[in-house]
Amino acid sequence: MSPEASQAESQDAAGHTDIAALRRVVTPIGSDTRVEQLADIIQRGEYAGLLCLPVVDDGRPLGTISRNQLTDIFLLRFGRELYGSRSAAEVMNRAPLIVADDLSLEDAAKYVAANIGSPISEDFIITRNGRYDGMGVVIDLLGAMQTRLAHNARQLAQAYRQLQSSQAALVQSEKMASLGQMVAGVAHEINTPLGYVRNNVDMIQGVFGQLRELLGEYDRLAQMLTDDGADEQALGRQLVTVTSAARELHDSGVLDDTAALFGDTLFGVDSIKELATNLRNFSRLDAAKVAEVSLNDCLDQTLVIANHALKGKVKVLKRYGDIPRISCSPSQINQVLLNMVTNAVQAIDHDGGKLLLQTKADGAWLRVRIQDNGKGIRPEHLPRIFDPFFTTKPIGQGTGLGLSISYQIVEAHGGRIEVASAVGKGTRFVVSLPLEPPTHSTAAAQAAASSNRGTR
Amino acid sequence: MNPPKPSLLLVDDEERILRSLAMLFRGQYQVQATTDPHHALAMVESAPVHVVVSDQKMPVMPGAELLRQVRERSPNTMRILLTGYSELDAIVASVNEGEIFRYVNKPWDAAELRSTVDQAAQIAAGLFAAPAAAAPAAIETATAAEGILVIEDDDEVFRTVQEIVGHQQPVHWARSLEQAFEHLERNAVGVIVSELTVQRESLTAALKLLKAQHPEVVTIVVTPFQDTDVLIGLINQGQVYRLLPKPVRRGPLGMNIASALRHHRMLRSSPGLRSRHAVEKLRQPEEVSLANRVMGLLGRLRSRAVV
Repeated sequence: MSPEASQAESQDAAGHTDIAALRRVVTPIGSDTRVEQLADIIQRGEYAGLLCLPVVDDGRPLGTISRNQLTDIFLLRFGRELYGSRSAAEVMNRAPLIVADDLSLEDAAKYVAANIGSPISEDFIITRNGRYDGMGVVIDLLGAMQTRLAHNARQLAQAYRQLQSSQAALVQSEKMASLGQMVAGVAHEINTPLGYVRNNVDMIQGVFGQLRELLGEYDRLAQMLTDDGADEQALGRQLVTVTSAARELHDSGVLDDTAALFGDTLFGVDSIKELATNLRNFSRLDAAKVAEVSLNDCLDQTLVIANHALKGKVKVLKRYGDIPRISCSPSQINQVLLNMVTNAVQAIDHDGGKLLLQTKADGAWLRVRIQDNGKGIRPEHLPRIFDPFFTTKPIGQGTGLGLSISYQIVEAHGGRIEVASAVGKGTRFVVSLPLEPPTHSTAAAQAAASSNRGTR
Repeated sequence: MNPPKPSLLLVDDEERILRSLAMLFRGQYQVQATTDPHHALAMVESAPVHVVVSDQKMPVMPGAELLRQVRERSPNTMRILLTGYSELDAIVASVNEGEIFRYVNKPWDAAELRSTVDQAAQIAAGLFAAPAAAAPAAIETATAAEGILVIEDDDEVFRTVQEIVGHQQPVHWARSLEQAFEHLERNAVGVIVSELTVQRESLTAALKLLKAQHPEVVTIVVTPFQDTDVLIGLINQGQVYRLLPKPVRRGPLGMNIASALRHHRMLRSSPGLRSRHAVEKLRQPEEVSLANRVMGLLGRLRSRAVV
């Protein structure tokens, strides 16, 4: 039986228990065996490695006689003479260690540890259904326990890894959920200019066709004019064709309208370009993880990303202070800001929505205030809003991780988030970040270091 | 003197979209454009509007809601939704509330949009010119026996429909495409309540072809299915009457069946109205191949109708 299998369960497929696996089958001695015989018996091969002999009558374990005891007896002056003819029953340890074979490894180890004498001079009797079944060696028990502990430690490590990866998966799913919202908004923001740009180009193509045709007519006219042998009448007809076509183009206003389209078209293309730039700045996938940025810029980028949700619904009041750049992870801080702005927009259920964004330097701190006049957070919900999975949104609309992740991000930057809210009036979040990044030995670095350790 | 140009109303919160569309339709249409849905409603009330093309995502009111109100004020006005991003809610609302003619994604193809609007304008012109439809109440007793066909793998929806209509209408249950067409062959069916798949076979192409062949048959799709492209196809090529999410709630299903029956009777008594539900041709190759099989079944159906 492999040790691995025996540790996974207290009983294996064949019905052998952990304790039974440790069993050494040795012939017990009867209680009437004389002491002088024991000196020879204990030297037999079958008892090698055992610290003591089991004393058993009719299957009933009565006691043990240890090597130590025998040594003591025979080292005594006249020990053999004094004790040699006595029975084993007279000299044996009457309170031996007895372990039933259906006991778990842990319980057996606990029992043996509690009852064994010091120095260790005996092993334990194994019984099955109360009857003698063999001997167990304490060292074997220790070995089995050690293997078991190592196995448990491996399981714990695996469980810890699974927990870590499922946490990572949850954080990822929150990211995907906000990404999904963002993609919906951004797709709309792109498709709108793309809609009129494409339509305009379609129409300009039509006008281009008309102009090319007209140019062809002009070419023919020019050819006729330079050709000496030209037919006067044909020339006249061509002149009429050209001028009337040109007049038609002018009168229809097509040229002026088309000229006007270029402005809109370029505007649309620039809008898309700006959006793309903002998306890149927002995610900062191409930049260093930590950078010196102005939180005012971060807020502006966030507003562009959240524009589809804000437009026409919420009036944004910017009160940006003259603030220094700070060292942070811009993509993470943007994630926090987008989360707060999105929450604010979702909390506004009336037409007069307002969102106040304020930044200022306050002593050693940079403070970003994000305040809405939405429906507010109920007092009983307020202490729980940063808890993972806490959400008041309908199922499927919020993962309940947004604020919890924001909190972790800000904490890792050595900052904090405070919230105040009044039902029916609105909510104010204040994100405070240290102006001077914590020295490398502190929060962020520690967080990074510990996460490295964790994944190793 | 040329006949008066049809009237086209454009609604979008982005003025550049309005300018661009106005130029596309200038010449053939009397074009009005506004960024304000309330203003648009006032325009629809003050003079006949043949076609409305509206954006979905607008701050004042979603396009589907605007089109619902347009329908109430002017049912003959053909309604087209032009949208920058297809959200499930918007699609469902545009069907169930707006009863729209087409769902068009931005960016659009100028020639395609022009032909869609042209078709809508022609239909609207016919509707505006026709005498008002006979009141459905007058024909209700005479046609009370048209059946309801449930196409569905399990019997849950079938039994719910039976409980809802009681003995007033026969209710049939088909568990495959073939069974569905057998029922259509044997029984007068006015309303279909259908899943989008039976026995792991898609029904969308069949539902679309059926609408093309029998515009008076009204379809309610009941499905947990959320693929926006498929649902948009069901609008443009299938003119489904309602999209109901699963699990089905009895109350809304009952109301929608009653409404579908009324709509069916109106389409039956006034064939001119059927033009409202003219459908686009199928585009997906796999749907077109399935179409051949369905056409065979429909052919038998038609030959029976002639006899």
